[in-house]
Amino acid sequence: MVIKKETIDLLRPEDDPQEATAAARAALREPLRDLAAYHMDACVKCGLCGETCHVYLTDPVPENLPAAKAAKVVRHFRRYHSAVGRLAPWLVGAKELTQSAFDEIVEAVYGRCTGCGRCGLNCSVGADVGAIIRTGRNVVAAAAEVPPNLQAVVDNQINTGNQMAITVEELKATAAWLSEDLQLETGDEDVRIHVDEPGKRVFYLVNPREVKFFPLSLSAAAGVFRAAGENWTMSSKFYDVTNYGLYSGDDPAAARITKQVMDEAARLEAEEVVLSECGHGFRSFRWEGPNWLGEEYPIRVRSILEVMLEYIEEGRIEIDPGKNVERVTLHDPCNLVRWGGVSEPQRKILAAVASDFVEMTPNREQNFCCGGGGGMLSMSEYGDRRVQSGAVKADQIRATGAKIIATPCHNCADQLLELNKKYSLGVEIQAVCELVFNALVIR
Amino acid sequence: MLTAERIIVASSLVWAAALLTWQLLAAWGGGRKDYSARAGSSARGVLYNFTAAMSPARKEAARRHPFKFAVGMVMHLGVVVAVLKVVVLLIKPTAPPIAPIPLGGFLAFAAAATSFLFVRRFFSKNLRPISDFDDYFAAFAVAVYLGIGSLHELNVINAGTFLLVGAVVAFYIPLGKLRHVLFCPVARFDLGRRLGYRGTFPAGRAE
Ligand code: SF4
Ligand code: SF4
Repeated sequence: MVIKKETIDLLRPEDDPQEATAAARAALREPLRDLAAYHMDACVKCGLCGETCHVYLTDPVPENLPAAKAAKVVRHFRRYHSAVGRLAPWLVGAKELTQSAFDEIVEAVYGRCTGCGRCGLNCSVGADVGAIIRTGRNVVAAAAEVPPNLQAVVDNQINTGNQMAITVEELKATAAWLSEDLQLETGDEDVRIHVDEPGKRVFYLVNPREVKFFPLSLSAAAGVFRAAGENWTMSSKFYDVTNYGLYSGDDPAAARITKQVMDEAARLEAEEVVLSECGHGFRSFRWEGPNWLGEEYPIRVRSILEVMLEYIEEGRIEIDPGKNVERVTLHDPCNLVRWGGVSEPQRKILAAVASDFVEMTPNREQNFCCGGGGGMLSMSEYGDRRVQSGAVKADQIRATGAKIIATPCHNCADQLLELNKKYSLGVEIQAVCELVFNALVIR
Repeated sequence: MLTAERIIVASSLVWAAALLTWQLLAAWGGGRKDYSARAGSSARGVLYNFTAAMSPARKEAARRHPFKFAVGMVMHLGVVVAVLKVVVLLIKPTAPPIAPIPLGGFLAFAAAATSFLFVRRFFSKNLRPISDFDDYFAAFAVAVYLGIGSLHELNVINAGTFLLVGAVVAFYIPLGKLRHVLFCPVARFDLGRRLGYRGTFPAGRAE
């Protein structure tokens, strides 16, 4: 859905049930133009897609069949947007979209699906189930029925600028002590986390998780930037690379989150926005953001993976793969690779910085979701199912014999940490930039 | 008499084509401009999604279910043959069967394959909950159509009956599941276009 910037504030859903249902019906139509509408009538219900889905593979009940999840959305679309659905709904299984339908849709599109899109790539006819699922989420969001824990994250982003509601003071304090640690570690007195410095070439966005719990990747990025002689800064207010509006299906909120970051980039006079390792953040800011805003960005947006590869290829940083001797494998985040088109930079980087890099099978756009995508990590009500569905990923990891899992996504990293414990994998989970930083030859 | 049946078939084909075109345009809704900066090629994505991506090597649904996939292929090939027969009869009503034994046999085989899919839908624990009247009726109609086509090719029934059954099926195409004849290729085009634009397609070395 294209959201005009000036209407962003007006598009929050209402609490009134009748208005909510009406908004949901409208949402059923709006996102479909030129996108999912084709896919709605493409699925032939052959049922061959079950095993392409990690949720179905780990719990093969009919409700987990991708086509069954899509059908929960399609039946309402048919009711309002096909002649037969209006005149003889029983013929095509069309159903009225009422308040009571939301529970079932929520269960299907949030509770049993991460929207990873793997089934669509492997569908016998080419129906994009992921697009249908996202339409289902649009519908639910329009009716203000998003699972509360997921909605809370979106609200945090809108109200505080970041999903964890980290204060400006906390961010600045973290940047300060991380800078000190980095200086001690590298012996370089000038290396630091730059915050609120206008006129820098790069405006760097990070996952608040890096600030709050796992600062190693932020330090590593700072170290790599320093080694490459990069001119960069973060913002103390709008530095969040995530956008939970993508997950919740709330496009107006997603547009607002995008806008606050792009406005900050303009305020800081940056020439480029560089995104920390984040699958859905990359998809949101790089691909969906301009469409949510309804305009082209004035500056370039890239992943730090693309930037680090450029540093390596241009000889701006020197690396020694001998510093990473353990076997490393790579987990491909769905939103970065399948929906983002970035699959090769991370491979080229790992091949350069690690002496024993092996692929998982399958990989790239055919990778399996780790189970933590689609906002699953924030919806505790589906926690058991999330960890269970991660068994597919755990098997993939085990088969590689790797000791380190590199994943360019902090969301996936959280899920992989849990899978590591639950399935006793005995591996270490690292961001790609941590491995690059470790391999740096600093003279 | 055959002229009347030809008119009915031609009318039902025009009806199907007109409604499908209207549905396609309504779904397209004027399209949307993509404001994101392009990273790949939509044309290459579409080409990939209509070629390599369709091979079982790249399509897990086909690779994991070779038998069911093959049955589906036989059904669809049968439909292509039966439609070609209709085209021949529309052009030349007195045309004799094209190749009675091989084509009649193949159409009978395709009718059996479609009947298998029809029956399977009743008994599959996965398919039954997601199937509507339309899903059963579409499979039933196609099975009958292929069966009648086979009988006509084998000279058991006349061309008029075959054409009338074809007209009923064509009339139903835009109303239910059979419209996937249009929406599947368009959906495939759309996904190829989008993922090509982003640089995901063409994909080469995933396995
Ligand atoms: S999504 Fe594709 S593979 Fe799955 S049932 Fe529908 S047509 Fe078949
Ligand atoms: S999008 Fe992913 S999680 Fe959802 S049904 Fe398809 S494969 Fe399963």
